[in-house]
Amino acid sequence: MAEAALSIRGLAKRYDDGTLALGGLDLEVPAGSFFGLLGPNGAGKTTLISAVCNLLRPTGGEIRVFGLPNSSLAARRMIGIAEQEPNLDRFLTVRETLIYHGGYYGMTRAESARRADEMIDVFDLRAKADVRAPKLSGGQKRRLLLARALLHEPRLVILDEPTAGVDLELRHELWRYIRRLHEQGTTIVLTTHYLEEAEALCEEIALISGGRIVARDTADGLKRRYEAQTLEEVYLKTVATGRLAAAREEEVPA
Amino acid sequence: MTGRAYAEQPFEAPEPWRGFLWLSLRECHRVLRLWTQTTLAPIVSSLLFIIVFGLSLGGRISEIHGYPYEIFIVPGLIAMAMAQAVYSNNASTIFQARNDRYIDDVLAAPMYAWQMNLGFNVGGYFRALMIGGALTALAAPLTGAPIERPLYLLVVVPLLLVGFGALGTIVGIYAHTFDHIQFVNNIVILPLTFLGGVFYSVENLGAPWEEASHANPLFYVVSALRYGFLADADVSPWLSAAVLAVIASVLVVWAQYLFSTGRRLKP
Repeated sequence: MAEAALSIRGLAKRYDDGTLALGGLDLEVPAGSFFGLLGPNGAGKTTLISAVCNLLRPTGGEIRVFGLPNSSLAARRMIGIAEQEPNLDRFLTVRETLIYHGGYYGMTRAESARRADEMIDVFDLRAKADVRAPKLSGGQKRRLLLARALLHEPRLVILDEPTAGVDLELRHELWRYIRRLHEQGTTIVLTTHYLEEAEALCEEIALISGGRIVARDTADGLKRRYEAQTLEEVYLKTVATGRLAAAREEEVPA
Repeated sequence: MTGRAYAEQPFEAPEPWRGFLWLSLRECHRVLRLWTQTTLAPIVSSLLFIIVFGLSLGGRISEIHGYPYEIFIVPGLIAMAMAQAVYSNNASTIFQARNDRYIDDVLAAPMYAWQMNLGFNVGGYFRALMIGGALTALAAPLTGAPIERPLYLLVVVPLLLVGFGALGTIVGIYAHTFDHIQFVNNIVILPLTFLGGVFYSVENLGAPWEEASHANPLFYVVSALRYGFLADADVSPWLSAAVLAVIASVLVVWAQYLFSTGRRLKP
């Protein structure tokens, strides 16, 4: 049987200010799947993603990517992340951003330049190829983030709110590209606030609240289980329940 | 190939050296892109010191340790320019990368922590060497400053670069604002370098200021470079090299600890 693309056991994170963002989270994402992670702000989605990508110091637990510890070089090479906030190198142009990223991920100059040109075309950034990142519009930055995440042909792509703040046309364009990527066998983990986006794209959805997975199934499975007409109803039932449970736990004296 | 087959195929381990080289290249690229600020300005200001203090006022000052004043001040000015350059470069590049979060692209990449640390430092070394090389090339014909101990310089200049580079990295990681970076430069490095004998021999100070100067780490930096250029210094060249080595070792271990643990770099 193939290794899971992502296997998380008992992942915990308590920030220095005492906030518990993740409390022993378990999650398994099968290889080749399109997996959605839904939850309100502060639920722990970005913390979870950051931990997988070695951008955070977890306080406990284990993360494996295709069977390898996530901190290993091979595992790092297999992950591509597009973070929620545009975090582009202000000194580099669009083309340089992509070429340098390929270099950081072990690609040769020729490979990296070839892929950079491909990505520039795919994401319609040709006219801006020699423009530095701070001069790009919000939508162009978002496309460049996605192009950078995919440049080194990762097997696990993590997209943290990739369509937040983009117009409808670009959102559908990004959906088309992400779908095509998934059809080629790339495992995709998507966090989003847009429930219709999760329903349209994801094979399986996990709802996260208070640093825990409170429900997980296909969109139809979730609706059946929670006797809901829409995913929004499921979301409200599960996330509200999770919040109430967390609030109740906090009220119990130690 | 079907999607599932692709997902299950074995994956080749990456070549981490390539990532390190690209990060080093990126840091040099940054220095060159900002060349008026990173390279030209420090060369011009150090040259002005040589011209104003050395050539204009130097004639009124008697020789120090057997050297005309304009020659005596050259090594200290080069030491000061290089120390400030490597410190400022590394502190600002790390701070900007943290502040804009594009450091995440490096922290997530398949590189070892020591390669990330060293890669971020390479731009500072490159910048300081360009400044030191240019100042040496310009000061030699202007003042006639010799290079008496080139092999000694080959030992102490890397120690200076590594030590002050690591200091820049540490400050860049801890800094909350650009003011913190400037504070260390303007309130610590610059005054201590001036007090370390750039413009005078500490022997001329007399007790207790001469002894007090020996507690200033920058005094050994200035002395080391002065010995490399003039074969003359206020303290033993080996003591200067040893102090530089100890400072560099402590700061490198500290900087590496921050990269290895992710403290202050990752939440």
